[in-house]
Amino acid sequence: MDGNLWVSGVVYGLSMGSIFFLLAAGLSLCFGLMRIISLDQLLYYSLGAYVAYQVSVSTGLVWPGILCGALAAGLVSLAVERWVFYRIYAREITFTMITSFGVLMAGVGAIKYLWGLVPRPMGIPIEAQVAVLGAPVPVYRLLVIGVAVAVYGLIQWVLNRTIVGTAIRAAVEDVDQVEGLGVDVYRLFTGTFVGAGVLSGLAGALHGPLVMVDPQMGLEVVPFVFMVVIIGGLGSLKGTLVSAFLVGQVVSLGSLVYAPLAQMAPFAAMLLILLWKPTGLYGSALVRR
Amino acid sequence: MNGRVRWWAGVLVPFGLLAAGRWFLPLPFLVEVLVFSVYTMACNFLLGRVGFISFGQPAYLAAGAYGTAFYLFYAGRDPLLGIAAGVATGLAVSALVGLVFVRLRSDYFALVNLALAVIVYHLLQKVLAPWTRGDNGLWFLDRMTATPWVDLTRPEGFVWFAWGVAVAVWALYKYLDDTVFGACCLATKTNEDKVKFLGYHDFAVRWAAFVLANTTAALAGSLYGVYFGFVSPDMASAARAADPVVVTILGGTGTLYGPLVGSLAYVGMKDLVSGVVGNWEFFVGVLLVVIMLAGERGIWGTLEPWLRRRWAWRRPAPALQE
Repeated sequence: MDGNLWVSGVVYGLSMGSIFFLLAAGLSLCFGLMRIISLDQLLYYSLGAYVAYQVSVSTGLVWPGILCGALAAGLVSLAVERWVFYRIYAREITFTMITSFGVLMAGVGAIKYLWGLVPRPMGIPIEAQVAVLGAPVPVYRLLVIGVAVAVYGLIQWVLNRTIVGTAIRAAVEDVDQVEGLGVDVYRLFTGTFVGAGVLSGLAGALHGPLVMVDPQMGLEVVPFVFMVVIIGGLGSLKGTLVSAFLVGQVVSLGSLVYAPLAQMAPFAAMLLILLWKPTGLYGSALVRR
Repeated sequence: MNGRVRWWAGVLVPFGLLAAGRWFLPLPFLVEVLVFSVYTMACNFLLGRVGFISFGQPAYLAAGAYGTAFYLFYAGRDPLLGIAAGVATGLAVSALVGLVFVRLRSDYFALVNLALAVIVYHLLQKVLAPWTRGDNGLWFLDRMTATPWVDLTRPEGFVWFAWGVAVAVWALYKYLDDTVFGACCLATKTNEDKVKFLGYHDFAVRWAAFVLANTTAALAGSLYGVYFGFVSPDMASAARAADPVVVTILGGTGTLYGPLVGSLAYVGMKDLVSGVVGNWEFFVGVLLVVIMLAGERGIWGTLEPWLRRRWAWRRPAPALQE
């Protein structure tokens, strides 16, 4: 097969994996710290994409649009955290899963109301292409990969080098102890939740130019994000990064080999991994409940 | 004797009301409510009795629908046998995957089922396309022959058949609540170690419950298939995966009338709100959040104590005499 095709396939897979990572990282952090499964991250993803679309269409500037998308997602996630999640942190996981699904559904309905049902095309900020190993590759996709790697570095730095990060890591191990030390864990929760919302919004805003912006985009990506989180192990950031790129590659390269299987292969892989290792690749026994 | 009358009254009164609705509710609405309530009863049993939350019900719905469709499209013409074929397919699929799935705990269980729905969707849409005709779906409305008594091929007859099936399924689940099996299901939900200590095989109990519920979902799928005379991979779409769970909670998890009330509310909202505003999802979503925050009792769970009080206030005598 054509070598160029493979190179662009790998880049395509990496950029898709980056989007998955940005989404799944927030989900994974929320699970690790608060023990919630926050399906509404998918809402912030759609919202980020729509705000980015709106700003880029009205002003013609795509990069500020992407920034606005991430910020708007953060604001909405703050509101949802205050009004909904703040009351239900103590409940079991399935409870949070269902409630957050309600938030997601309401949000998708609101988006349909505001922007209509028709998918909208969004302008791509950088049209240029560069040659990687002789194959033409869009610069924008490389930038998306760069952003994901930078975000991974940033989260690792926050978690390992700052006092807030230390508190978060400690709270993942034992919330009660951290609270006993005088840390206001609810502020940690709020911060983490909003951080996750911003990342999801960023993922949507970055993904917008690559696909059409459409009200169902959040629901369409649900299975993939969950697959990433589960393969990587709930609560493990490193696992999330590895599995996001893995899933991106399976989808992208799989479609080069045999198109019908591409969307299905990762799910079969996830089933096998779960049955063999129910906590995922990097999930620790500690996270298991 | 008295107890049996009351037992059946509990089944027949709500469904009698629904049957009476035949004369003032639009027909497609009634059929949708009935079939959806069968679909939701399965989910209600899983969620309320066994403690399984499944985001993969569309997979079993599609298994039933396609079992029916394959029979009616390629082999026979009798819709009743078609429904039997659909139920058999659902039974086979859920019995097989159940062996693997019921080992997992609640949140993983939900997501593995979601993965199954996605796999089934792509199987139907792409991999098995030579037989399923992909997105075009299978049309067999004119292939079905009329059945005696109630004609399943016509909506006027089908609504009564769907009504009968819903009553039967509902009576089955009501009956199960009183049996040892039902008690075991409830016990695995609360404390599976104690179930083991009592000498019951908790894996077998959960597996049987899983198979039973998902076969019911497949039954709902084959009902849809026969009603529309058409199936498409959209039945297994992951975008609709949470519907039965949402409706179960809307109605009231684990309550007997919950699925019925929930389906009525859900389908009603879908029809009414989408006619007026156009985005019913917003209202369903908000309602779901409100119900969860208000103590997750659902519509029926909230209404029931209120109705009971009124009932008791009107006629306190019989309860005292017993």
